[in-house]
Parts: sequence; C-alpha cells; structure tokens
Amino acid sequence: MGLVFTKLFSSLFGNKEARILVLGLDNAGKTTILYRLQMGEVVSTIPTIGFNVETVQYNNIKFQVWDLGGQTSIRPYWRCYFPNTQAIIYVVDSSDTDRLVIAKEEFHAILEEEELKGAAVLIFANKQDLPGALDDAAVTEALELHKIKNRQWAIFKTSAIKGEGIFEGLDWLSNTLQSGGG
Amino acid sequence: MFTLFYGLWKYMFSKIEFHVLILGIDKAGKTTLLEKLKSIYSNLEGLPPDRIVPTVGLNIGRIEVSNTKLVFWDLGGQILMKSFYQPGLRSIWEKYYEEAHAVIFVIDAACPSRFEDAKSALEKVLRHEDLQGAPLLILANKQDLPEAVSSDEIARYLDLKKLDERVYMFEAVSGYDGMGIKESVEWLVDVMERSKRTEMLRDRAGAMGPGSA
Repeated sequence: MGLVFTKLFSSLFGNKEARILVLGLDNAGKTTILYRLQMGEVVSTIPTIGFNVETVQYNNIKFQVWDLGGQTSIRPYWRCYFPNTQAIIYVVDSSDTDRLVIAKEEFHAILEEEELKGAAVLIFANKQDLPGALDDAAVTEALELHKIKNRQWAIFKTSAIKGEGIFEGLDWLSNTLQSGGG
Repeated sequence: MFTLFYGLWKYMFSKIEFHVLILGIDKAGKTTLLEKLKSIYSNLEGLPPDRIVPTVGLNIGRIEVSNTKLVFWDLGGQILMKSFYQPGLRSIWEKYYEEAHAVIFVIDAACPSRFEDAKSALEKVLRHEDLQGAPLLILANKQDLPEAVSSDEIARYLDLKKLDERVYMFEAVSGYDGMGIKESVEWLVDVMERSKRTEMLRDRAGAMGPGSA
C-alpha cells in the first residue's frame, strides 16, 4: 500500500512544501487511516499549549492530524498549521449519529478559515464496518456538504480497520490536485 | 460623484461570473466533459479520461470566455440517481439549483438502454421551481463511439413537453475528442448574457448587498 501511495502523490507537488490536514472529531478513525497509508513513522507531539498533533512526513508532503471539538481556547494555535495546505481530509464516524451535528459544525467552522480557502476537501464516511453506519448520501446530508460551492469536494465510504475506500479517496484527491486544485 | 461613476464603471465592466450546473445520470460522462472543457479553455491540462473515477461530490471548472467568467459545477451522478430511486431521500443537488444561471444535461448517446433513466431524471430537473427559466443545453455525449445516436434522435426520444418557454438547445458532443464543446460554450455564454434568469439572479445578489454574491 505504501507503493500505491508513492505512485499517487510522489510527483504531485514537485519540490514545493505541501500540507494535507486530516481532521475530525476524536475517535473518528484519523490515526488508523494515517497508519493505513504506511508512509512512515507517525510522530506524535504534544506541545505545551496542549493539543496533540500527529505528523507523517512523506517527501515534501506533511500529513497532520488533530482532533476538532472540545476546548475553544486552543483554537487560535491551529492556525500555525494552516499555511500551504493543499487539502483537508475530514474523517467522520458514520455510526456515531449522536455527534454528527457537532461534526458538521466543526467542519464548516474550519472551512471558514481564510488560509484554507483554496484547499480541496475529501470526506471519509468512516467505520462503514459498524452496524448502523450511515451511507455516503446520508453523511452528505448530515454534514450539509451542499453548502460548499467554491471548492471541490468528494465523499467516500471507508473502513479504516478493513482498509476499504481509503485509496479510492486518495486517488480522487491526487487527480483533483493535479488538475488544478480546490 | 466620483464614487458614483466608479460604481457604475464597476457595474458595467466587471466580469460577471456565471454558474453552470452539469447534470446527468451516472456514467453519462459529465466529469470527462468538464476536464475536456478545462483543457480547451485554460492552460491547465485536463485529466486523461482513464484517470477519472465516479464522482460522489462536486468537481469545479473555472474558465474565461470573451471577458465572461464561467464556473461549472459537476455534480456526481451516483447520489443523484440514489435520490431518484429512493423518494425519501432529498437530492442534495437541488440545493445548488437556485444559484445556477444555466443547466447542462449530459446523456450517454451510445447507451440507449439508459435513455429512459435519463429522461425521467431530466423531467424531474425541469419540474424543479428553483431552476425556472434557466437555459438548458442537452448534450448527446460520446459521439466518438460508433454506436452513438445523433442529437436529433435523442431529442425525438426525450420528447420533452415541459420545455415551453425555456431557452434550450441539443448538441452532439464528445468529451473524449472535444467535438461540439466550443459551440456549446458559445451558445451558453450568449443565452446567459441575455436571459431573464441572469437578471433575476443579479437583482437578488444586489438586494443582499455587495460581497454576498
């Protein structure tokens, strides 16, 4: 799988520094997805300001993961991680229907960020292996994805545990970034 | 006084941005068409057709033709179809309708077994009140394939009765080799510049104040 990833992303950004943010509520499956990519060691940093960012560096592309939701006091510090972001991968626990409203609110709040305006958006409707998981159409509705009108987006059903759907999504992302970005 | 003239100047010469919806059932070739459009009108190289995956989402293409900006919204056919088959599920695409200046409806002209699906999908689109007065371009796509039928035949098959006062045109195109695409875009720009719907959308944007458009 590491090889598939190399094929998809190696020539995409040239030598430019690029960043892909992997975001979502806690327990959505973000880290599992990161491990699925098998790109290298996932380095976890907990800075003194108190939010945990996981980073995987792959050539010039940085994948960075943190949890949305919770404390609002640390949010200003998120901005340090926004410059040069080409894409956002938003991961949702499709079986956690109680928290979909929060997932939606956090999602649209992050899309408002000025420095992320140009980023393409890939949504993973994750945990499709769990009973009661909503499908892509239902998650689309719940997240109100139709409100996104100025950038490209796509949603994929995934199961990080089984490794399903992730590379299809990344394939779309790599194509999208190649043909002109968000 | 200066401000007044400046405002008028800006109003008259600022580039209008037109939104064009690309609709159609799955596998009609919407995304391939969009990529071809992009490669014809901008310096960006479009994706080769073999790299295009079915969209469940929104692809965007921005082009500029004779001082007019066009933004194409390519909406995935899969979810669109799901909403036709499951009446309980509202089509999220309907939420893009009210901001569209015109609609392109794409049909795979080489696949007669799905003309019926295409017809009912198109009828549903035409019935929608948020798309009232929007010019309609119906594309008989995949003309590069030998079995593709002509745009006249598609027109005859669709036998659309609800078109009444709508401005519309049928065009034979190929998203693969680019046939008919320039003619299509020229037609769109021409009708959108003159359509009542454009006026209506501009008035509404104006009423909401600057910056809201």
